[in-house]
Parts: sequence; C-alpha cells; structure tokens
Amino acid sequence: MQLAVNVLVLAAIYALISCGYVLIYRVSRVLSLAHGELMMLGAYGLYMTASLFSGEPVIAVLVSVALAFTIGLAVYAALMRHMTGEAVLTAVLATIALGIFVRGFVVLVWTAQEQHPARLLGIENTSFPVPGDARISLVGILLLAVTAAVYLGLYVFLRYTAWGIRMRATGQNPLLAAQRGIRLHGVYALAWGLATLTGGLAGMLISIDTALEQTLVLIGLKAFPAALVGGLDSLAGALLGSLIIATAEVLLIYYVNPLLADAVPFLVLTAMLMVRPWGLLGTREELDRV
Amino acid sequence: MKRLFAAAMLAGAFAGTALGEDAYVIGVTAGMTGPASGNFVPVIEPLRAYVEHLNTRGGIHGKPVRLIVLDDSAEPSKAAANVKRLINQDKVILLINSSLSSTYAPSVAEAKRAKVPLYYVGAVCPKETFPPADPLQFCSTAFGVTYDSQAAIGFIKSHAQGPVKLGLAAMAIPVARMGIDFAEKVASAQGFKVVDKEITPPPTPDYTPFATRLKDADPNWVFSWSPWVSQVRTFEALRRLGWGGRYLTWAHLNAEEELARIKDDGFYVIGSNAFFQDDLPIHAEIRAVAHRGNVNYPTTYLTEGFIGGLVLEQILKNTPWPPSPAKVLAAMNRVQVDLKGLRGGPLAWTKDNHFRTTQYYRVWHWDEKQGRIVRVEDWIPIQVK
Amino acid sequence: MSRHRSAALGDRLRTSYQAELALLDRRSRRVAFAALAAALAAFPFLASAFQLDLANQVLLASIGAVAFMLLTGYAGQVSLGHAGLLAAGAFTTGILYKELDAPIWATLPASALVGAALGLVFGLPSLRLRGLYLAVSTLALHFIVIYAGMEYEARRSYSTGVVIDPPAIGGWTLASPLAWYFVLLGFAAAAVLVALNLLRSRTGRAWRAIRGREAVAEALGIHVPAAKLLAFLVSSVMTAVAGCLFAYYRGFVSSEAFTLYVTIQYAAMIIIGGMGSILGAVLGTIFVTLFPYFIEYLVATLPVPQSWVDSIYAVNYAAFGLVMILFLVLEPQGLVGLWRRAKQYFLLWPFKQRPLRASQ
Repeated sequence: MQLAVNVLVLAAIYALISCGYVLIYRVSRVLSLAHGELMMLGAYGLYMTASLFSGEPVIAVLVSVALAFTIGLAVYAALMRHMTGEAVLTAVLATIALGIFVRGFVVLVWTAQEQHPARLLGIENTSFPVPGDARISLVGILLLAVTAAVYLGLYVFLRYTAWGIRMRATGQNPLLAAQRGIRLHGVYALAWGLATLTGGLAGMLISIDTALEQTLVLIGLKAFPAALVGGLDSLAGALLGSLIIATAEVLLIYYVNPLLADAVPFLVLTAMLMVRPWGLLGTREELDRV
Repeated sequence: MKRLFAAAMLAGAFAGTALGEDAYVIGVTAGMTGPASGNFVPVIEPLRAYVEHLNTRGGIHGKPVRLIVLDDSAEPSKAAANVKRLINQDKVILLINSSLSSTYAPSVAEAKRAKVPLYYVGAVCPKETFPPADPLQFCSTAFGVTYDSQAAIGFIKSHAQGPVKLGLAAMAIPVARMGIDFAEKVASAQGFKVVDKEITPPPTPDYTPFATRLKDADPNWVFSWSPWVSQVRTFEALRRLGWGGRYLTWAHLNAEEELARIKDDGFYVIGSNAFFQDDLPIHAEIRAVAHRGNVNYPTTYLTEGFIGGLVLEQILKNTPWPPSPAKVLAAMNRVQVDLKGLRGGPLAWTKDNHFRTTQYYRVWHWDEKQGRIVRVEDWIPIQVK
Repeated sequence: MSRHRSAALGDRLRTSYQAELALLDRRSRRVAFAALAAALAAFPFLASAFQLDLANQVLLASIGAVAFMLLTGYAGQVSLGHAGLLAAGAFTTGILYKELDAPIWATLPASALVGAALGLVFGLPSLRLRGLYLAVSTLALHFIVIYAGMEYEARRSYSTGVVIDPPAIGGWTLASPLAWYFVLLGFAAAAVLVALNLLRSRTGRAWRAIRGREAVAEALGIHVPAAKLLAFLVSSVMTAVAGCLFAYYRGFVSSEAFTLYVTIQYAAMIIIGGMGSILGAVLGTIFVTLFPYFIEYLVATLPVPQSWVDSIYAVNYAAFGLVMILFLVLEPQGLVGLWRRAKQYFLLWPFKQRPLRASQ
C-alpha cells in the first residue's frame, strides 16, 4: 500500500511539472528546456513573497502564483516572441539560453544557499495514516490535490472557454487560426504564462516538501521523459506517462536496485522512442517515414 | 581564422597582471556555481573575509596576502584550466581546492608539474592526505570519511540499548559509498546486524520510495554519511513513514541551524567542529570578521572556512619573505595551528600525515524537554595512523 | 563566397591537400592564407602560458564544433548527444590505457572506431525521427553513455576520474603546451579540411539537400538514409577523436566532465558562429571558449557592484545566457552573418544594397 502511495505522489510531481512542457509544445511546437529553471524561479518567488508577507501564507502563495504567471508572460514577450517561426533547434536553444541566464540570476539575487520557505510560511509537513498501513505527508496530499485541480482546470479551460478553444486551434494550425482572427502572440503568451504557473506550483510544493536549492533544475529535467512517453502534445498523455515512469521508478527502487532510479526514466523513454516515437497518446504528425 | 589572432590579442590585453607582485599570492579553485555550490561558497566567503581582515591587520611579515578565487562549477576541465592559469600566470605559491572530488585529478596533475602545494579546504580529504601522505597534498576539512564511520559506529555501540539493527544510507557519490561500505564493515565487526544499505542517486524529487525500503528492513538505528540533502531528506521521509528509530548522521556546515529546524529527539549529528552555542571567544571573532567581510551566509556555517583562514595564516607566518612554493611546502610540513576551541585539539601536519594526527568527535541532538541542542558526547579522540 | 564556390565546382573536386590549396583561388586569398599560417605558427612563441592554454582549448573545441556543424548545420540532423560522443572517445582512451596500457596509436583509432559504431547507433533513430524527437533520442543515448562511464569509474573505484599519462610516440612524450599547440593545430586543420572537402563533394550537396527538404532530396535521387547515416558517422568519428585528444590533453577522464552543459556549449558555438558555415563553427568556438575569461576581465576592470565581483561565476552564467539570447534574437546568422554584413558594407559602399542578386 505504501508503494501505491509513493507511486501516486511521485506521479503527481512528474505530472505537475510535465504539463508545462506539454502546454507549450502543444500550442507553439516549442520544447522549453528552461522549464526546470522557471520552476525554480517560481519557487524563489514563493520564498520572496513568504518573507514579504510573513504570517500570511495564503496571500504569499497567491501572490507568488500570480508572479509565476507574470514571469511566463514576460518570458514570452521578451524572448520567445522573437523565436516564432524559427527552426526547432534555434527555439530550443533560446530556452536553454534563458535557463542558463536564470541560473546565474538566481544565484546573484538569492545566493546559492539552501532556503526553507515552509518555515517562513509556518507550514509543518506532518504525515497522516492511510488505510493499508501506509502514510502520506501533508505536502503529498497537497501535491495530489493541486495536480488534480490543475489538470481538471486545464481540461475545462481548453474544452469550454473561448481562450482555451483558441489555444487548441492555434496548436492545430497556427496559420489558419491567425487568419480566423486569433491573436497568436496573445495565445502563445498565455501558454507560457500557464506553463510557468504550473511549473512554479510544482517548484513551490517541492521546495516546501524538502528545501529550495539549485538541484530543483535537475528535477525539472527528470520529469521531461514523462511528458515524452505520454506524448508531448497530450495532457492526458502527460498524466499517463508520469504514472508509468513513477511506477517503474518506485518498483525498481524497492525490488531491484535504488541506483537504477536515475536511469529508469530515460530507459523507458528510449524504449518508447523505438516503438512509438510520438508517445502513447500523442498525435502522429510530422513523423512520416521518408 | 584571423579572428583567432585578434582574440588572442584580446586575451593578451587582460592577462598582464601579477608578475613580480609584492604579496603572498594564493590561488583558489572552487565550486562556486552549480548544484554543489552550497557546500563550497560558505567555505570560500569566510576564507576571503579572513584574508581581508588579515590584510587590514598589516598582512604577513608586512606584506599583503592576495587570494585569487576562480570558479570551476565543480567541473574537472574548468578546474584544470583554473589551476593552469593560477600557476602559470598568477605564479601562486599555494593552491587551494574547495570543490567536488572530480576536480582533484586535474588539480593534482598540474600542481605536481609545478611543484606547488595543494591544500583542500572544506572539500573531501583525498586518501593521499592520510598517512602515508603525498608530499604535496594537505587537508583541513572536518570530515575524514573512514574515521567518521568508525567514530559513529563506536557512538552507536555505546548508546544503544540492546542489539542494534543498523540501516545505512548514502548518496551515490564515490566518497559517500566508500564511507558507508567502511561503516558496514566496522558495524559487522562490532556484532551489529546490518539490515539494509540504501544508495540513493542524486538528485531526486522524493526520497519516500528509498525510505520505504529502508523502513521495511526495520532498523532501530540508521547511520548516513552523505551530502546534507541526502542525509536529512532520507531522515524526514523515514519519520513521515512513521519510523521511530534513531538516526545518526554527519554534522555538515549547516548542522546547527538544521537541528533547530528539525527539532527531533532521535536525530543525532556527529561532527568535529564546535557549535556556536558554546559561544567561545573565537566565535565572536568569526562573527566580527564575517560582518566586516559582508558574508551572506549564517555565521554558524562559517567555521570550516575560518579554520582554513587560521591555517593559512599560520602557514604564511612560517614562510619567510620572499615566498616560494618550496618554502610554503616546508612550512606546511611542520605546521601546528591552535584552533582556539573550534576543534578538540590543534591541527598538526607532519611529514607523512597531512590530515591531522588526532581527530576529535562530538555528538549532538535536539533535546525536546530542554528545547535546545544538547551535546551527548564530548570530543572522542581517534588517532589517525 | 559564391564566386569561390562556382570556381571550385569546375575541375577541383578533389579531396587531397593539393585540392585544398586550390581553394585559394585568388592572390589575395593566398596572401591572406599565408599571413594566417604565419600568424598561427608564430603565435605560441609570442603568447604567455595562459594564452597558449586558451588557444589549445579553442583548437580542441573547434574539432568538435566542426563535427557538430557538419551534422546539424549542414545535414540538418539535430543532436543532443555531442557530449556523450566526446565522452565515448575519452572513455575508450581512458579504459584502454588503464586496462591494457595501450599507447596513443592504439587508443586514437580505437576511439574513432567506437565513435563510428556509436555514430551509427545515434544515427539510426534519424531514419524514423526528425527534429525534436531525434534530438531527444540522442539525448537518451547521451545518458546511457555517461551512465556506462560512471559505472566503470565506480566499479574500478576511480572516484576522482581516470588519470592518463601524457602520450608517448616512439621515445618522444607529448607534454609541453607548445607541442600540444602544434598537434592540436594539425588536428583542427585536418578537421576543417575534411569538412570543406566533404562539403564540396557529392556528399555535402546531398546533406544540404536533405536539410532543405527530405522529400525533394529523395526525388533528386539521393539515398537519404545512407546520407544521413554518413553524416552521423563522420561527425561521430571526428567527435570521438576530439574526445580522445581531450583525454590526453587534460590528462584524465571523468564522467562529470561531459555534462549536458557541454553539448549546450557546442550548440552555442555553432549558433553564435552561424549555422551552415565552417568559418562560423571556428568563430563560434573562439567566442564561446574565451567568453568567460572576457567577462571575468570586464568585471575586474569596470566599476561594478562588489557583490558581482564576489559572485563572478553567477555573472558569467547570466551574461552567457544573455549573449546567447541576444544573438538568437538580433543576429540569427551569428558571427558569420555579422562578418558578411560588414564585408558587404565595405564592398558596396557607398551603396547599401546589391543591385542584382545574379551570381547566387
């Protein structure tokens, strides 16, 4: 039972991170390799607001979430806007450059020291018993709840709201969408904003669970195979991929060798790329055989 | 390709410093960026502050000390380039390495070629510094993994009631794996039952899957020797899974701060640097130096770097002007530094022992009844042979 | 450029060194080349030890950058496995040296062979995948190579990396920076030469066609899978050889030296230099290799906040990211683009634009 809880929590982490990859890719066909860094930036945003509004955790979290969204918009406006229509490698490289910049920026502003936003917010990460002789931590519950809420919210948003439908249309055919009067830049900016928001949420929760430090970036990269296994342009796929990778990881750690944990996501990914390169639920486009 | 030449001239423009300088020039390569920087920046910052303070007091033999700090991001190739530059261009008389052990091989290779002594501050002491020591390598870092494991197992033996079922945990980096393997041997020799040895890869978003396996092996003591993240996350995950045993781990730079954060009776740390709660006169001095040098880290992190400063000052005092690498080396081989209570005894190097002759350990934990950190074991000496 | 290309298309489709000399089809070029050769030959005797090390770093990196440019800049196959290939070459060298005490004339071809084998493996996904997915599949292979190297280190307990002695050829040991300079210069020149010759031949044209559009390339009668695999093969062999040289030059091999950041740096070299240009690869290499030292110098001389000086490394990171961004946004053609524009400006002065684009 504990293993099941572990799988769910880890899957929630991966899913919350990877939906950012999916959102951006689905709408603008750009792979953001700065996602880990933006996630870290979001978490530092929480650290900042937590020290500004100490004792007011709700306000601090809300402000930092809004901040993460704004950062996403700003990234698009300042950088990615110019990458529209560029080659794949150029756009990917732009996000990498952004990531490098953010890493240096974070150290310049907050130093490399480990921080504990949980303490500033006054959150005690206790744990609760779960039927079947297992336990789940408070942040674990939060993670599950937030991930569920985010995916549900995105589903409703993409399916029923005007902006959501515009986003899907843009993802399907940007040229046609533009000709139908959809403002592409607005839609793309929104995608970046939402992706940074969800990534920032993941960063905040992880930093509350453990601590806020530079390795957050690497965790962001670890979630990437989950998005790819599920299919880079499918939110349901990201959920499924996260579940598969988390299951493989937790079971291998427990029954085989903990050292495998690092390589597992990429092994699963390689296997996937050989069989179904577009992912489990991804769209099979542009991948025609020559 | 013509630009190569232009660029080389550009490089020439910013290379022309530091020849025939009227100062003791010390070169540092340190992991100031990257995921491991949290371990090394709080060592280098107080070291730098110490040297600044030293210079305002008039330097050594009336000459200033110049500390050139270069970042290697804990990457071997950058460290190699740094060391090359420090030796060839800046003509340093002593090299300091404060970075991950992967940077050692290139640093040592360059240092050997130029016969410049290499001093590890706040970084893992390589086995070449233990007796019989390599002539060029020295180390003042608090931990020496095999001795630490020995002391830790000894502590568990003297404090355990009843038979010990020991769990071991380490991060998948060479030095931690070596230490934990050694601990396993010592523990088995002591008659402990080693129920599980958990090696976790760095970094990982959630330690619960690893902790689950450890908890299911049902140990009543767990010993972990690793970077702090891995040690404390494993412990927190174990507690959240409802594990009730006792956990002993290494006191890294941030231990004093972290004990007060975690506030758990069963969380013990073993270390060789005194805590600031002792409030010795030297602690006030560290505070003052850090304040003057604008060090960003909490004062409790700074002991290690400050010890580096004390040792450096003593070495240079024993080095007559004008200095040379050979003179520094001679001074290092017979140095004895009074650490003023920061450790259990003075730091002494001899010709074939470049670690220290005696290593002293203390053990602390958080006492819930008293609501403060309490010392449970005072300066256990272990001879280094 | 166009003029020389049309001239080269005449009767000079040879791949010997003679043919390369014929690349210098005008006297001004011959003079420039002679000046460059003289400058390169004189440089190590004028430079300080530090500058010589920098030059060696540039030369070493330029081999890898040229290889990467062939694959990505010309054949259009995006790869993120570059650091993995370098690591493969370096580890082949390190392992052979440690286990069999192999000399350099054995390790260098062995590294090239491993590079060739891995190149084919890295290249196989390219038959099915394009763009992003291809990049990701090469990324997976990167992790596998690094994992294997790490396991070797852990098993043989080389916790600080595998240390390699300077290579000896006959009775002569290659150790001094000066000797290294000429050896590396030779390898870098060879890499550039091989690349230029390949690009002037049928192979190079096939690669460019594939980059343009695969379907059209196929319609032109190009065997696309073979050409793609060849691109991976050539690039990987060159990269693995660079890895082998890297191992000897640095004197050690360690899995930590080949992070993803290394790949990113090589990608930055070809982007900043200018895609689809060998000159660009070389310029980009110089720029990226020297950039951190330049920033350090700027921070040391300009009046900047003290906190910047204290965390020069972070400034370096931020500045590198920023410069890359600026290049991508403002000058997608890279340094070569700047160079061409400057050339045009002087050629056409006082006009701003070419009257007719006839020669292209």
